Amino acid sequence: MWGYYFQNLLDSLPFFFKGLWVTVQVAGLSLAIGTVCGFVLGIARAGRVRALNFVLAGYVDLIRGTPFLVQIFIVFFILPEWGIQLEAFSSAVLSLSIYGTAYICEIVCGAVQGVPNGQREAAAASGLNWIQQMRYVVVPQALRPILPPLVGQYVLLIKDTAVVSVIGLTDVTRVGWLTVQRIPNGILVFGLVGLLYFSICYPLVWFSNRLEGRLTVEDNSL
Amino acid sequence: MIRFNKVNKYFGDLHVLQDIDLHIAPSEVAVVCGPSGSGKSTLIRCINRLETIQSGEIFVDDLAVHDRATDLIRLRTEVGFVFQQFNLYPHMTALENVTLAPMKVRKTPPTQARELGLDLLAKVGIHEKADAYPAQLSGGQQQRVAIARGLAMQPQIMLFDEPTSALDPEMINEVLEVMIQLAKDGMTMVVVTHEMGFAREVGHKVVFMDMGQIVETAPPDAFFTNAQNERTLLFLSKILSH
Amino acid sequence: MLETFNFRVIWATMPQFLHGLGATAWISLVALVGAMLVGILACVMRLSGRRLLALPAVAFIEVIRSTPLLAQLYFFYFGLPGLGLRFTETQTGIVALSLNSGAYVAEIIRAGVMSIPRGQTEAAAATGLNLYQRLRYIILPQAIGVTIPALLGQMIVLVKDSALLALISVFELTRAGQLMASERFMPAEGFFTTAVFYLLIYFVLKYASGQWQKRLIFRPAGGA
Repeated sequence: MWGYYFQNLLDSLPFFFKGLWVTVQVAGLSLAIGTVCGFVLGIARAGRVRALNFVLAGYVDLIRGTPFLVQIFIVFFILPEWGIQLEAFSSAVLSLSIYGTAYICEIVCGAVQGVPNGQREAAAASGLNWIQQMRYVVVPQALRPILPPLVGQYVLLIKDTAVVSVIGLTDVTRVGWLTVQRIPNGILVFGLVGLLYFSICYPLVWFSNRLEGRLTVEDNSL
Repeated sequence: MIRFNKVNKYFGDLHVLQDIDLHIAPSEVAVVCGPSGSGKSTLIRCINRLETIQSGEIFVDDLAVHDRATDLIRLRTEVGFVFQQFNLYPHMTALENVTLAPMKVRKTPPTQARELGLDLLAKVGIHEKADAYPAQLSGGQQQRVAIARGLAMQPQIMLFDEPTSALDPEMINEVLEVMIQLAKDGMTMVVVTHEMGFAREVGHKVVFMDMGQIVETAPPDAFFTNAQNERTLLFLSKILSH
Repeated sequence: MLETFNFRVIWATMPQFLHGLGATAWISLVALVGAMLVGILACVMRLSGRRLLALPAVAFIEVIRSTPLLAQLYFFYFGLPGLGLRFTETQTGIVALSLNSGAYVAEIIRAGVMSIPRGQTEAAAATGLNLYQRLRYIILPQAIGVTIPALLGQMIVLVKDSALLALISVFELTRAGQLMASERFMPAEGFFTTAVFYLLIYFVLKYASGQWQKRLIFRPAGGA
């Protein structure tokens, strides 16, 4: 029986790769948009404009306090009521970008605030304005601590693309869901799906660990 | 040149500066000393508005520091600041540390800025370390780069916040020597320090602070040999005994 | 837009949402207990120093961390019946959530244990304490202070992850919103209400985490 399913699955492989490509596209676009917006908002959030901090904090709380699934539903079902018609791919990229921006904003803000205050003061004392202080002195120093959590966040976002399958976007999870209707062997089908995600994510996880200087196998005993 | 009129500052409930009146003339070197917590660092940080005041007036030349409308950038190009913790930019070389502000604030062209920078580094005695990063320099060398950085904008006034307190003893002198030379060249300086040798050599007045107030002000000789106030005498006995 | 927002309907369907809220809370709590068990087991296996135990633990953690929860959920939902195991949707969901969060809990505990300076273990061993005693009196008490905030964070993640159970027809908070969209054609009212409830849970948990952190200002002992 399993042999039969396995053979069937192999025949469906091209569909899985197509789905994987959709996953990569959605993830890639959302990551790019999220990184750019997240950086800008993160630096702004580390500034002193009270009103801005308040609004951004509210936005971040909203995104972090609700499940991504609910956010996708809101974007996909409610936007048409306001007259904005988006098809699945755009909805997916939009919601994932909004989601990713909030998290990246927090990471960037944290790293910027982590740069010792004396650095900003020294720059200020020599006459540089706020933007110059950020651009030449603070942000360059914030970049190193940003990298590991940022890569970690990328992995999380790639995994979250699986959720966009619910609005009908044919990513690799949806291909799995459709396939399992024909080949009723969940373990093989979703084992394959898992393998495909693993092949993208694990290298990034490994890279992020390396950036943090951690070893993945045993490094301490009780 | 620098004038404090009835300046008061609070950190929350803490009355950190109480009715401060102070006048420093051009080319004068004022040494501010006192026990920790006396407000001396806060005092000089108010001069270039790294700290703000709640009441009173501070004037630097014709600029009203306390006035929010005053051009902060212009103020800070007139006043150089050297920090206790150096605060050199670790991702830039010594030369880049010095030339950043001239290039970005005064829009000095790179070649000119470079020349200026190298001159200043030579002046503080580390011309050869121009391309080194702060991590490759000793504490004394870093602080001298910081002084060069402070001088890069060609300020009228130089402020020093305990410049040698974070240095190992054998490096204190190299920094003091640079500061002494600066004083002899006629720079207006306000220096918060415990280095009384410096005060005796080039200081024009010593300002003793305790618990947010200026307790006594006197020329160095008078201050060390003939202090009037009881608290001053107490402080002096503590620092001069070891 | 707000004029067309039908508050009366929300009020009328409130029992359903509260039902969903209860289900979400229940599922999250059970899954949290499951996650703690899985996490502690995986962590102890990993730190045991024996390859036979450590390697499967590492493999488990890395696979979970590199694959989406939804794929894992479908794996169990579609896969378990094929093995002859019949669970309800809710049970399947809790199993998937426990294993998923368990991997992250394992990492959180590991980080907590590793943050304790080696000197502590050495000092304890030098005075003759055995492994169990070292764990109980020296390591775990110190590790907990560091670990609790992260665990509370994972709890928040778990509550949000539980939303995915709606996709395997489990009735919980998100499904309540979904049903309002599909049965009454009012997606706006449905999902906004759902979002509000989740935010409520989020802020309560966030507040609790903040309060705990104030009470337990715990730092691992200094010195090597």
